[in-house]
Amino acid sequence: MRETASQPYKAKTVTGLSLGALLMTMTAYPLMIGWTLLGILLFPLLFAGWYYFTGWPTAKIVRHFIWLYGRGWLLLMRPFVRFRFDGKDVEGRNWQEPAIFVVNHCSFFDTYCMGLLPVFDIAFAVRSWPFKMWWYRRFMLLARYLNVEDDSWEDISAKGRKVLDAGGNLLFFPEGHRSRDGKLQRFYNGAFRMAVESGRPVVPLCLTGTGELLPPERWWMQPTHITMRVLAPVDPAGFEGDDTVRSLRIEVKKRMSEALAEGDR
Amino acid sequence: MNEQEMIDLINNALAEEFELEPDDMTAEANLYEDLGLDSLDAVDMVVVLEQAFGFKIREDQAVREIRTLGDIYRFVAGKLQDQAEN
Repeated sequence: MRETASQPYKAKTVTGLSLGALLMTMTAYPLMIGWTLLGILLFPLLFAGWYYFTGWPTAKIVRHFIWLYGRGWLLLMRPFVRFRFDGKDVEGRNWQEPAIFVVNHCSFFDTYCMGLLPVFDIAFAVRSWPFKMWWYRRFMLLARYLNVEDDSWEDISAKGRKVLDAGGNLLFFPEGHRSRDGKLQRFYNGAFRMAVESGRPVVPLCLTGTGELLPPERWWMQPTHITMRVLAPVDPAGFEGDDTVRSLRIEVKKRMSEALAEGDR
Repeated sequence: MNEQEMIDLINNALAEEFELEPDDMTAEANLYEDLGLDSLDAVDMVVVLEQAFGFKIREDQAVREIRTLGDIYRFVAGKLQDQAEN
């Protein structure tokens, strides 16, 4: 059975550089660079304070700061982007329960949008290239992010289980990389294998609008509306047999594809 | 199982797992350059072959040398022959 939706989702694209886009690009990039540098400079001091007052483990504190960094980015973008979070009261979703988030991927800024989530303790599963950005690398390592490209599955699984067992969440981009044509691409198995092995639910997140904001291979930003829709959790216990991982993957992709197509109308 | 049945089983299993187009699946097709697989797919490819043929190959060093579909056919044929002889 091939994984196709009756009405496949395709993110909208913008080709011309408008005045609004020019204004946004010239404003938002300097603000982002300033916000990032401020974060890097203040981090040691803030980390010490957080550690003193909360006693949390290092990884949890760093993940909290990364989430706050994302919240700050949302504020910086607000003059140009209208954000909407649709999912605080999703049936069957207890935000205190550790889960494996899976999100569609259209833009570099998708990770920043995770500041919309009402939980901060999230370890991202990413390819090796983000670890090469020196200004983020240290924080990603401290936050115990998963390197799904360079590490063996045994290592990834063990590290992921540790995060989940400590009450944290994992986040995967199951497409593996940003969509070049705006369509939902094929899904890799990692997130779903992790769900089956850990018994934790998969929570699909459907993100629309980031492909208009900044798609791959475009440098300028476009003012837009961004919506994050949280779908009902999918319990891996409901899938049995030799193809559990694949069945779970197909079901989650089907639900995301339908929700994205629905949100696009 | 004859050779064509083995090839069909491999092609069907990989096409379903990785959403490949059957027309692209020739013996010469490079898994990475022609079929768009990458390092993240290696674990899944092993699992798919293990499930399709009922053998264990994850510790087999020869798996790491596979580059084309033809390599997979030869590798699986060798494994099936080993099984038949033992």
